[in-house]
Amino acid sequence: MKKRRSAPENPVLRRQRRLRSAVMIFLCILSLLPFYLMFINATRTSNDVKSSISFLFGSHLMENIATFTQKQKGVGITAWGSMGNSLLVAVPYTALSVYFSALTAYGLYAYNFKAKKFAWGFILAVMMVPTQVFAVGFYKFMLHLGLIDTFLPLILPAITTPAVVFFMRQYLAATLPLDILEAARIDGSGEFHTFNTIVLPMMKPALATQAIFQFVASWNNLFLPSLIISSSGKKTLPMFVQMLMGESFRTDYGVVFLALSITILPMFVMYFILSRYIVEGVTLGGVKE
Amino acid sequence: MAEVILKNIKKVYPNTEAKKHRKDGGEKLADLQITDEGVLAVQDFNLEIADKEFVVLVGPSGCGKSTTLRMVAGLEEISGGELYMGGRLMNDVAPKDRDIAMVFQNYALYPHMTVYENMAFSLKLKKTPKDEMDRKVREAAEILDITQYLDRKPKALSGGQRQRVAIGRAIVRNPQVFLMDEPLSNLDAKLRNQMRAELIKLRTRINTTFLYVTHDQTEAMTLGDRIVIMKGGVIQQIGTPQEVFDHPINLFVAGFIGSPQMNFFDGKLIQTNGVWQAETAGAVIPLGQKTQAALNAAGVAPMAVSIGIRPEHIQLETQAGAHTVAAQVDVSEMMGSEIHLHVSAEGKDVVVRVPTLELSEKWPNGLHRGDSFYFSFRHDLVHLFDTQNEETLL
Repeated sequence: MKKRRSAPENPVLRRQRRLRSAVMIFLCILSLLPFYLMFINATRTSNDVKSSISFLFGSHLMENIATFTQKQKGVGITAWGSMGNSLLVAVPYTALSVYFSALTAYGLYAYNFKAKKFAWGFILAVMMVPTQVFAVGFYKFMLHLGLIDTFLPLILPAITTPAVVFFMRQYLAATLPLDILEAARIDGSGEFHTFNTIVLPMMKPALATQAIFQFVASWNNLFLPSLIISSSGKKTLPMFVQMLMGESFRTDYGVVFLALSITILPMFVMYFILSRYIVEGVTLGGVKE
Repeated sequence: MAEVILKNIKKVYPNTEAKKHRKDGGEKLADLQITDEGVLAVQDFNLEIADKEFVVLVGPSGCGKSTTLRMVAGLEEISGGELYMGGRLMNDVAPKDRDIAMVFQNYALYPHMTVYENMAFSLKLKKTPKDEMDRKVREAAEILDITQYLDRKPKALSGGQRQRVAIGRAIVRNPQVFLMDEPLSNLDAKLRNQMRAELIKLRTRINTTFLYVTHDQTEAMTLGDRIVIMKGGVIQQIGTPQEVFDHPINLFVAGFIGSPQMNFFDGKLIQTNGVWQAETAGAVIPLGQKTQAALNAAGVAPMAVSIGIRPEHIQLETQAGAHTVAAQVDVSEMMGSEIHLHVSAEGKDVVVRVPTLELSEKWPNGLHRGDSFYFSFRHDLVHLFDTQNEETLL
């Protein structure tokens, strides 16, 4: 952004800008406050949390950590262990989802075939159906395949992610001229080779943003893992958080907040590193270069 | 090296998807024939391109020229007919196996690769040894004067430079046939002229067969050994630039080739005492020797005709005469060495091209808006077209 001109400003414009800033600041506080309070509460005792709201850090962080480390032994998995499980699911999930969605989108965009429109419509239709609708059938299916209590049912479905396909196709339509594919074809590049060496690199911004969204989605997913995973050693982070609400933790809110803070940290770090891409991703495809 | 033969080539787009497939940009399908099969984008296309010949396909947008080129490239399926390259039937051969290179209008460079990588891409795929690849890329870069940009990405290049890279990418492959789809259309006027000259030079250096598509008749005239003029998916005329300029076969070609456009008058062909004359706008135009002979040889009868005369074949007169038409100046465009006069004569808009010197000899003060004058036709340079089928009578 360029600095504003130093010329005397129109007072009406200035007032408008101030109002705008005020609204923005209010919204900012509104969305950040819960996180702040969570960190604050992680440093207070359970009774303090229950009785009052504080905006200042308490002095019981060490105590809470000690209790937390002791108590998590009781549930069969540690915070770090479940975080590892979550990573084990989220990383391949993200990779598969992004790669295959890009591939599908490319197919839908670059090739003409019968029922192309139908295929596209079908994908959009699937996008409208919530996961819960599939849940029972999916569970039974996995049961028959003997995949219950493994990570595979959490990872493999990533190959079909309609929302990502939709995004990728729109991105391709805005950024990839078909001439480039034809040039590659004439240059002697096979179709997969063209996709991997030319189309994928050109899609980098789209891949990056969708990777972030998919990673977060998988990381925060509680529903499917709760359905599939049963042994405590394989529980993912959201399931771990869920357990915090269970018997052994219920009494100590300070510890619960501490655990929540720990689980949320990776997301925070990721957001700060990649926020540029996330913002770009939201506006992506809207403007054609 | 290779000659290219197109035999009865036909392209049909099935009705339902016709619009989606069309490539030439916002084209009107109005000109194209529509049958039960679908839209006939190209039909009865017969052309033999000799080895090392430079052939230009030219026509208004939507005439099927790009489609034809894409069929030669293998990017579009050929609906009917046969395509031979170097004696081999190519209908079902994949683009990469046709030994062709193609330059696109929008360059179609790979944006994430450097200029060097762009040019080396096809060689890499052919598993060319590194040193040979490097030599070829540098040679091509040398020819096109882009050596200093080899490490840059296409984004950092200007339009002209990008087009050079696109041409370079084609050169390194040393193809049998060089296909170009409106390669200069995205450049500004000055650069286009410059690149046009460079293409002519380039051609002498990489002596191979060229098939070039453009909608710009100037490009067609200056670059082509032969020009193929198309309209509505059908070839109108094939000939050298001189042939199509001097002897346009029908009204369309006559109007398309030449700039400014040829002027047309509605008139009558009459015969008095065995001598043919054309009558229009109150003037009787005597026809020259060659025209007389041609008309007699064709055995035509007196009939209604369209009389065509190129702007530079109109003679200005200060005095009215038996063969002159009265006119009034609407616009006078000073081009430097010559002047383009847009005039109205008998309710028609007519363009006249006249050397500046010649004009100032007759009218020392010049001709301005509203001035009246007379013009006549250069006898042997009059074109006559049948008003019924729009074909030439000569």
